[in-house]
Amino acid sequence: MNYLIKELRSHSGRTIASITGYGIAALFLLLVLSLTVTNEESSTQILKGTGTHFIAYVPSNISCCVSCDPESSNGSLFAEGVNTIMLTDDVVDSIKKIRGVRDASPYLLYKLYEPEFNGDVSLGGIEINSIATQNNVCAATNLISGKYISEKPDEVVAEESFASAHNLSVGDTLKIYGGKLLLAGIVNSGIKPGKADLYATIDNVRRILKDKLKCVSPGFDMNIVLVEVTDARMQNQVLLQLKEKMKYLSVSSYNCYQPANDVMKITEKTSLLLSVLIFFFLIIFSAKTQLTSLVERYREIGILKSLGWSNSKLTWQILDLSAIQALAGASIGVLIGFLIILLINGHNIRLFGLLEFRFQYTTALILLVLSLTGGLIAGIFPIIKLHRTKAGEMINNFM
Amino acid sequence: MSDFQIECISLSKHYTSKNQTIIALDDINMGLNKNDTVLIKGRSGAGKTTFLNMMCGLIKPTNGKVYIDNDLINELPDESLSKLLAFKIGIIFQSFNLLPTYTVFENIEIALVPKMSDKSDIKEKIMLLLDQFNLKNKAQLLPSELSVGQQQKVAIIRTLAKEPSIIFADEPTGSVDDQTAKEILECLTNLKKKRQVTLVIATHGNIPDNFADKIFILDNGRLTS
Repeated sequence: MNYLIKELRSHSGRTIASITGYGIAALFLLLVLSLTVTNEESSTQILKGTGTHFIAYVPSNISCCVSCDPESSNGSLFAEGVNTIMLTDDVVDSIKKIRGVRDASPYLLYKLYEPEFNGDVSLGGIEINSIATQNNVCAATNLISGKYISEKPDEVVAEESFASAHNLSVGDTLKIYGGKLLLAGIVNSGIKPGKADLYATIDNVRRILKDKLKCVSPGFDMNIVLVEVTDARMQNQVLLQLKEKMKYLSVSSYNCYQPANDVMKITEKTSLLLSVLIFFFLIIFSAKTQLTSLVERYREIGILKSLGWSNSKLTWQILDLSAIQALAGASIGVLIGFLIILLINGHNIRLFGLLEFRFQYTTALILLVLSLTGGLIAGIFPIIKLHRTKAGEMINNFM
Repeated sequence: MSDFQIECISLSKHYTSKNQTIIALDDINMGLNKNDTVLIKGRSGAGKTTFLNMMCGLIKPTNGKVYIDNDLINELPDESLSKLLAFKIGIIFQSFNLLPTYTVFENIEIALVPKMSDKSDIKEKIMLLLDQFNLKNKAQLLPSELSVGQQQKVAIIRTLAKEPSIIFADEPTGSVDDQTAKEILECLTNLKKKRQVTLVIATHGNIPDNFADKIFILDNGRLTS
């Protein structure tokens, strides 16, 4: 140990350069990794919520679970432009049990020809607090005027496009569906698979359609299941399971989950690749440092060999020196990195206004281990050379 | 089993440089007995250093064998060779080979580390030898702070401290003044008087022939007695 300290001290310039090298490398890697982790987490957080919803229904031409004919002369249950049949509550329960499903909610969507509006007017009955409803149909955040759907009977909200087309304003009374409905609010739900012209709570819609549907009874009160999955990456798996369990169901999604899934895979793989590249960088850097160090010490090692120092003793000395420098440098780098991150976060600085530097203890530990591993691996080349070369050649070739 | 302590058989060393083979040593045969004092004389570049280095196992011969106490040293495993160099063989290099960042004391100490473990014994021994060579007050200096003659003395002390039974000395008086050369030779003579040691000295001619029991001449890679 005395000789290790002596060696480090007697070549203080080289030791400082080597430790500084490791320190800079560790600092740089720590900052890059602290950003990579945040970047991956942030983008994954955004992307995993993209395209995580779809609707499921049974077109009316498929006979599976029809208990009555829901169509009237000028109105029908529908979804995605096709007439559908009624579904039972147990479909929702079955879908909820599928692994990867976050939420499933019933939806009653009906369209009726209204001469006053010179066309079909669709009315959707929803469970307003369901996340599946919010992502497939509309949410309170989509409200642009008035108030959102409430439990009050005869209150509806209209899509902005429908309201504009018919010059409707909040507070208007619509003579529609054989009664009077108050337009409480206007929403713009964007592009959603379960979009309708008007929305109300599912219970209100059931009440409004009571006379129009021939078979309204508990268990026969919806025609669409709105589904939300936990993660865009699970969407495909959920759809496959759904198709396997309930072959008669048709599903409709906007397939946003596929590009989201692809982007997430790219982000994950990029992070992995970056980590691997960083590791190789560290190894190459360490190897370069150690080889330079050995070349400088070559003659000295030759002299020590000629004095009877065994290869094994010198091997341990090289490894120990390498490990001490790597650990010292990496520790200093990590410590400085920690302080920099602390300072940046203390001043609430975000890269590009978005990305946060986040210190992770596991990253610090990994960097220390990688530096040590790198140092030891780097020591292998000098050791091979040490074992292959005779003392005299080491002394004479570097005189 | 040979009677010789050191025996070289058909020893040769060839180098390749710019596609040309240079014969440094050619078919050398030599046998030395215990306690012999041998001079290997030759002009500069005759191959004396190469010959010495091969005899003590620091470089490998191209052909031939070197035996020390019947051990074929050019085929010894590294660990055995290290033991031989630590316990039995001492080498005084022409260029001293002192570590420039180590003090005089440490330069001697590193030669004793493979052999001795007691620090106080090591210190006592080193200080005694430094005293004998009037270098006690230079113990904590770096080699660069010493004169050439003093550096040569430190190199000799480093070898003597190990108390080897064989000493290979490469031009031990080659780069020192006459007075220092005389002191060095006196020291080696005294050593021979105190204990049995085989002394192999390579020189270009500044050591008197009567210093040795045997004299060999190395010329154009060939050895003659």
